[in-house]
Amino acid sequence: MNRTMVMAWRNRKELLRDPLSYIFCLAFPLVMLAIMTLVNESIPKEAGMTVFRIENLGPGVAVFGQTFLMLFTALNVSKDRAGSFLVRLYATPANSRDFILGYLIPMLEISVMQNAVIYAVSWILSLVTGNPLNAAGLLVSLLVLQISSAMFIGIGLLFGTLFSEKAAPGLCSILISLGSFLGCIWFDAESLGGVMLKICRLLPFYYCTKLGRSSLRLDFGGDVFLLPLLIVTACAVLICTGAAVVFRTRMRADLA
Amino acid sequence: MKLAATKEMIRTEGLTRKYGAKTAVDGVNLSVREGELFALLGVNGAGKTTTIRMLSCLAVPTAGEAFVDGKSCTKNPEEVKRIIGISPQDTAVAERLTVRENLEFMAGLYSAEKALCRERTEKMTELFHLGEVLDQQARTLSGGWKRKLSIAMAMIGEPRVLFLDEPTLGLDVLARRELWKLIGRLKEKRTIILTTHYMEEAEQLSDRIAILQKGRIRACGTLADIEEKAGVSGLENAFVALAGEEEER
Repeated sequence: MNRTMVMAWRNRKELLRDPLSYIFCLAFPLVMLAIMTLVNESIPKEAGMTVFRIENLGPGVAVFGQTFLMLFTALNVSKDRAGSFLVRLYATPANSRDFILGYLIPMLEISVMQNAVIYAVSWILSLVTGNPLNAAGLLVSLLVLQISSAMFIGIGLLFGTLFSEKAAPGLCSILISLGSFLGCIWFDAESLGGVMLKICRLLPFYYCTKLGRSSLRLDFGGDVFLLPLLIVTACAVLICTGAAVVFRTRMRADLA
Repeated sequence: MKLAATKEMIRTEGLTRKYGAKTAVDGVNLSVREGELFALLGVNGAGKTTTIRMLSCLAVPTAGEAFVDGKSCTKNPEEVKRIIGISPQDTAVAERLTVRENLEFMAGLYSAEKALCRERTEKMTELFHLGEVLDQQARTLSGGWKRKLSIAMAMIGEPRVLFLDEPTLGLDVLARRELWKLIGRLKEKRTIILTTHYMEEAEQLSDRIAILQKGRIRACGTLADIEEKAGVSGLENAFVALAGEEEER
């Protein structure tokens, strides 16, 4: 095993042994999925409200779950930085690439598992509510959503590197609230229009949800799939690269 | 072992580190031989940890240079890192990994071979008597066990130079005495640099001692040399006489 994979192995083990990661990354999104499905069942069809229909709710909750991966990445990195653990590792032959990929790889693996569970439950709920989801759509959406996952994990790495063990989770919580709200997970900004829609369109969260929903429908149109795909991919690349540069710079400063 | 016959393992030349206007380490010249246990004594802020950080490539000197086995800590840090191990002041262990996993994790950072990692893990388990807690998560260990694990982790890369930064800080008497025995066994095969506040610890374990005061070396030598310089007997009295004298100025 090379050093990157050794670092990834350690981070994966520590995350999977933390009960809080199951509560926040899995249980909470699943509870929201179940509650909002019940809410949807209570909404009269004449209301024309589609945001909580399972084909929209499933991808929305998948993106919501990804925001908690950001929180746990930030927690993991900031905790390591707070004590002497990273100092000890800095004195080994491991380099910054090993550290950065060692943090990112297990989170991406967990993201695939998390989204797979959310989509599996969404599929079961869709059968129960008599509106079965397309299996191919679920698979495509699961794959495409890993790009937005990389973006959130990159933000987590950035926050964990820049902020303390106490500040990083707080800032991530703000971003989780903002992300789920402005990502239009719980409301339909398109039907609202106006300033709200303009604000949502300025941030990448809206495009993450849109990408998840369009890919689930196997709708690969320019506006609903290609544009969000381009924006989310660009954001993921920029944020992950930025986070890696910041981590490397901080590491050099720590060793100066 | 006659230390004078062994080769020089650590050398510093005018080693200096400044943090803004504050000079933490000021022109330190040291020479430590292979197989020697060298203790750095000093009050808080005397420059012990900063000296260790520079020797283990965790901080860059503002002036001067440090060499480990003839390799420059600033010019060849990668080579130096392959032959050193460090046990930091805090017990830096991965809390949710078991003792065995912590050892395997550190071994993996030094060697890509799984068989070698396992072999080294077994060796450290035996040397540090970690068998009874091997499958326990580190967060459930007592302070003494954590310290033992921390030193075992520093040793797993089979370093030729081991840095122990206040290894017995906060431990009870029994745990401290047990660690002393362990450190005593380790020093037979490698160079150890130890920082400590405990005079008894330095007296019991070290071959030579350096007293640091405000980043400078006030005295360096065997216990007898230091007692002679201070004109009193006992390390604690000598330390108070030498370090206290400077404080009063």
